Amino acid sequence: MHGEYKTPGGKLVVADLDVLDGKIVGPVISGDFFLEPPEALTQITHALEQLPANSNEEEIAAAIRAAVEPGVEMIGFSPEAVARAVRRAVE
Amino acid sequence: MNGQFEDRWKQYRWRLIRGEPVAAAVNHAIDEVLTRRVGAGEREPTLRFWDRLQPEVVIGRFQSVRNEVDELAARELDIPITRRITGGGAMYVEVPNVITYSLYVPPDLVAGLSFVESYAFLDDWVIRALRSLGINAWYEPINDITSSGGKIGGAAQARRFGAILHHTTMSYDINSDRMLQVLRIGKEKLSDKGIASAAKRVGPIRLQTQLPRQTIIERMIEEFADSYGVVDDTLSEDEDVAATNLASNKFGTDEWTFAIP
Repeated sequence: MHGEYKTPGGKLVVADLDVLDGKIVGPVISGDFFLEPPEALTQITHALEQLPANSNEEEIAAAIRAAVEPGVEMIGFSPEAVARAVRRAVE
Repeated sequence: MNGQFEDRWKQYRWRLIRGEPVAAAVNHAIDEVLTRRVGAGEREPTLRFWDRLQPEVVIGRFQSVRNEVDELAARELDIPITRRITGGGAMYVEVPNVITYSLYVPPDLVAGLSFVESYAFLDDWVIRALRSLGINAWYEPINDITSSGGKIGGAAQARRFGAILHHTTMSYDINSDRMLQVLRIGKEKLSDKGIASAAKRVGPIRLQTQLPRQTIIERMIEEFADSYGVVDDTLSEDEDVAATNLASNKFGTDEWTFAIP
């Protein structure tokens, strides 16, 4: 499943994932955003793994926010932008 | 940008490298090696102009190959795909049609500026150089150099290894047909741009001035030298060897390029 969201004035976020037993599995987040350090992408995808597929945007964004370590810089996108791309993939 | 920040450029002994034409993976490896060297204090802050042996599809650190590139078309045209260490978007690059440069700088240069502010700050000398050639250019946050004639270029940064890599590619000319053959440019990406065609968004330098590509580069170097001072330099033998090794162990491998398939 595939979803995309272009942050207004910012960058594109792409979500590719599967849903199994009502849960998100194997999520891959990609796009033309900037992220420091790059390893934080793993924290973002871990936050999405096994999340209920019917989670709403706020819940998905909150899960990402909680998983991303302090000091991580998301430039041109946000937890909300990732959440929207994920919702679009699931829907 | 105000004078207090502008003066910071002058505290360094800038080096200029006019790059030799090298393979795509080697160019990206040089970026990592020189960023590490500046971060370790083993090299003065440096401005490098790239040269290339061949066309290349370059994707950003976080992009999916499948989403961005028509791999079959790239393979048939014998165009290598490489992944940068910086974020940002995919590009199709032909040697005579682009000007690419990298800055390897200590974090001190941009301390107190936000990430977004630092992009415009690090490319300000380029905007000045373009304007001096009669091109009405300005910076469009986050990372675009644009003009009344369309988008000219894009920058990308990585803050790693104790330094900042800031590199920018500008269109001197464009091969739209080939670009659209090898890149997939989705509608969602253009959704807030208000323009239907990616090719139309680009405003190559050549359409705005008749000057040869090399003249643009020389004007850029002159602007940098006059503003901040710069000394000619080359890659050391040691850096050259490190870059060659890194190209074969990392940037030239499928493991790296297809890290996000």
